[in-house]
Amino acid sequence: MNAVALLTLTKREMVRSLKVINQVIWPPIITTLLYVFVFGLALGSRIPTVQGVTYAQFLIPGLIMLQVIDSSYGECSSSLFQGRFMNSIQEMLIAPMSAVEIVGGYVLGSLARSLLIAGLITALGVVLVHAVPQNWVLYFGVICLVSILFSALGLIFGLFADKFDHIAILTTFIITPLTFVGGVFTSASMLPPALRHFELFNPIFYTIDAFRRSYTGDSYLAPFWSIMAIVLLSVIALGIVLRMMAVGYKLRT
Amino acid sequence: MPAAAAIDIRGLVKCYDDFTAVDDISLRVEAGEFFGFLGPNGAGKTTTINAIVGLARKTGGTISILGYDNQTQWREARRLVGVSPQEFNFDRYLSIRDVLIYAAGYFGLRGRHVDERADMLLERFGLTSKSKLEYTKLSGGQKRRLSLARALIHEPQVLILDEPTAGVDVELRLELWAWLQALNAEGLTVFLTTHYLEEAQELCKRIAIIRAGRIVAEKPTHELIADGSTLQEVFLELTKS
Repeated sequence: MNAVALLTLTKREMVRSLKVINQVIWPPIITTLLYVFVFGLALGSRIPTVQGVTYAQFLIPGLIMLQVIDSSYGECSSSLFQGRFMNSIQEMLIAPMSAVEIVGGYVLGSLARSLLIAGLITALGVVLVHAVPQNWVLYFGVICLVSILFSALGLIFGLFADKFDHIAILTTFIITPLTFVGGVFTSASMLPPALRHFELFNPIFYTIDAFRRSYTGDSYLAPFWSIMAIVLLSVIALGIVLRMMAVGYKLRT
Repeated sequence: MPAAAAIDIRGLVKCYDDFTAVDDISLRVEAGEFFGFLGPNGAGKTTTINAIVGLARKTGGTISILGYDNQTQWREARRLVGVSPQEFNFDRYLSIRDVLIYAAGYFGLRGRHVDERADMLLERFGLTSKSKLEYTKLSGGQKRRLSLARALIHEPQVLILDEPTAGVDVELRLELWAWLQALNAEGLTVFLTTHYLEEAQELCKRIAIIRAGRIVAEKPTHELIADGSTLQEVFLELTKS
């Protein structure tokens, strides 16, 4: 195991995130602020409590998940694609680095960025609407699992993509719609009974439902099942990307 | 038992769909040798280099580096090789010094020794004053020197150079020649591809010429030009369609 290489790549991804801080760190924070003011405080003041908390407090964990998903996918897909586009990934391909070390480096770098963004939004939640996580183990556990899952998906699409435009396909047509209907702004219990069953086919619903429990202590599903669903999807996604990396899909001719 | 060759290629075949880029070539580059690998555009030079360093998957054949098979013992083999590619492929988010430090990291190296070696290489290649800049701020010649420094950061025993003097002025070319000769004199095996035949004649002790994926000559440089011909005349004769 070339642990130094894995950590070097992790550090490199963190450096990259800080170099493009105006593209990747501040926008999710500002977007979250706007959601909190417009939906949480302005419109939310007309909504009675949800899962025992104010609507603004209910919103915060959903918004954290939204940004963790977006940043994890974006970090890995764009960094890997850019490395392919600029050929800079060849540095790693000619070095004694295995698929596990390359994937691990990207995923850990992405996780670091997700934790930073989640931490900043959590702090905003505490200051603006007094939303404080109640179960820190669940809080960190779900962020880590979700970040790993969407980082792996980002790497898969970073390898599939032939141009930058291809990376946006998953976000535009799958991730964003599923995230918005997956419970960022609503609780499953607020939906008509017929629609609640459809939520169970939305993988992002499990991530938000489990994460929100770390704040409110309440969830639609028992967290064990949501976490198992996220773990299963993560294992599948990691398995696919490790295989692609090991055979050098679109990396080695 | 004979010492392991620095690069030992046996029956290398590389096909892209129906096109055979490298067609059953075998080469043996001895440790400490300065070896030239020449051929016209599209002859298979870069494909061969990519196969050696693992950027291209072999269709057939074996390659070993100082006795380590580059497929079954890839970690050991890759640790021994430094590559300066034809195209610049630096990480745009890193400073010049960090390009070297991170490259060492990918090879599993870190710590004070790496910092000192990076500073030594920056000094040797005249890049110390640029160490905090991004590579995009460097001239073509400086990028070429950085590429060479990066290839050497992990103290490889085999240095592979894919057209290292392409696009550089005469002064820097001569400077690069002097550096390469000095590195070779220190014991480093050098595998060089170039389109500048006078460069190959000046630097390489032995030369292989590849045409359409096949080796058409492999001899000590002095034997190639033994009949009074220039290397250019020999090259044109061997590579004409």
